[in-house]
Amino acid sequence: MVGLGFRREFAEEMISGELITPDFIEFAPENWMNIGGYWKKMLHRVLEKYPVLCHGLSLSLGSPEEVDKTFLRYVKSFLEEYKVRIYSEHLSYSKCDNAHLYDLLPMPFRMDAALHMAARIQQVQDYLQRPLAMEIISYYTPVAPEMSEADFINEVVQRSGCQLLLDVNNIYVNAFNHQYDAKAFMAQLPLDKVAYIHMAGHEQVSPDMILDTHGHPIADPVYELFEWTIRQIRPVPVLLERDFNIPQMQDLQEELTRLKSICHQQWKHHELVA
Amino acid sequence: MSSLPDSRQLQQRFTKHIRTGVRTIIPGVAQDRLAHYRHAIFHMVKDTMESAYPVTCANIPARKWDRMVRDFFAHHACTSNQVWKLPLEFYTYAVENNWDEVYDIPYLSDLLAFEWAEIEVFNMEDIAPAAFTSTGNWLETPLVLNPEYRLLSFKYPVHREAKRARLLKEQGAWFVLLHREPVNGHVQFTGLSPWLAFVTEQLAAGITVKDILEYAPQLGITVTAELEKDTIAFLVDMQRQQFVLGFQP
Repeated sequence: MVGLGFRREFAEEMISGELITPDFIEFAPENWMNIGGYWKKMLHRVLEKYPVLCHGLSLSLGSPEEVDKTFLRYVKSFLEEYKVRIYSEHLSYSKCDNAHLYDLLPMPFRMDAALHMAARIQQVQDYLQRPLAMEIISYYTPVAPEMSEADFINEVVQRSGCQLLLDVNNIYVNAFNHQYDAKAFMAQLPLDKVAYIHMAGHEQVSPDMILDTHGHPIADPVYELFEWTIRQIRPVPVLLERDFNIPQMQDLQEELTRLKSICHQQWKHHELVA
Repeated sequence: MSSLPDSRQLQQRFTKHIRTGVRTIIPGVAQDRLAHYRHAIFHMVKDTMESAYPVTCANIPARKWDRMVRDFFAHHACTSNQVWKLPLEFYTYAVENNWDEVYDIPYLSDLLAFEWAEIEVFNMEDIAPAAFTSTGNWLETPLVLNPEYRLLSFKYPVHREAKRARLLKEQGAWFVLLHREPVNGHVQFTGLSPWLAFVTEQLAAGITVKDILEYAPQLGITVTAELEKDTIAFLVDMQRQQFVLGFQP
């Protein structure tokens, strides 16, 4: 299954399904919970048409402070109300000293941070009664690392029992920005835990820096890395993210079709799953 | 045993720099990449404010506006999990810190309140109205109002004007009703006289027009046939605009 991130900019087109037909949609619960009026009606219309996965933005599981239990209650009720199949979050933090920063910040790759994050993921999984799929974020600087990124991820996954959301573009961006080999990095990950894949575009802004913008088509080297990646894992849902510079729907549909064709080619001997 | 501070302290230093720009050295962190985070996050917050407060932003000198957003982001701990609610925190921060005087914009809090109210009413959770019928007596039957509304009072007519000189000349008591149309979700604004604002408030409490008119003399208002006629005409018009939904059965 190949889905598309649901955005207000192209809500009508997705609901009409004339120019674009993803297999499922994904959105951040934060952007849709506790609202009414026009957008609640639109949400209900799109949910009549597509299965939904949710990708959280502000649980901030790497934060030094406690999990926000009030917010977590809202998330649980939202996931249940809309029968969300997969709920994913990020291996990062976006809140510190009880102040939200509304961005995904890089965790220090250190044992105390890994233990802290694993415990919080476990706490949330226990409360939600479902595994979380945790996304490896793109980041632009390491922060006082004492272990490798792959060791950090393995530690968190092993201790928390969470699943992984593999954003192939993030891995490509990180490999470029931090000068490592993307495939060698992925080979160190617990790929049997991958439950979900994200794909997106990026922009190179300087000779040594790529930004994970979600504002461009998927780059060819990322397609190549995607093809390599999915040969290593069982079939999982794949999502196209496009948040800025929204193109014509036909262009997005072409990207969905290309992703689907790669999945079909590589996973043709597996049963497709949702 | 590491000689470095623990991860919590590293995260605190990292985020403090992003919010305030206070110089910090963290092992392994490239200064240009730290600057990237500070720049990107500040601009996300600024963009959010400019989308929420387009009139305010357009009528304040750019450097002053930039200083306001920087002050807010550096000194206020944003608590909302939902980015769309962040502008409410900006407005609250402005009121708490007396920005009307600090920035010498006496109508600033009115303007922010007005622009925030549109977002709030547009997004507010659905509220089911009480049961109603389409026929009744305008004077004697309690009315059923659309519950998705806000009634605001201002010192300056920010719903009609954005230019400083004109606003300052019109200081007084101004009232605006915002309500969400049930079918299409559009937000409608209606400027109200003090009398009609009072009527609206009382109707929302379930008081009939007749009882409101009987009480009016205690407020120093002389009730005339024309006042009664105009009040009912207003309510008929608001029924057309789907603020008055009907009559209690």
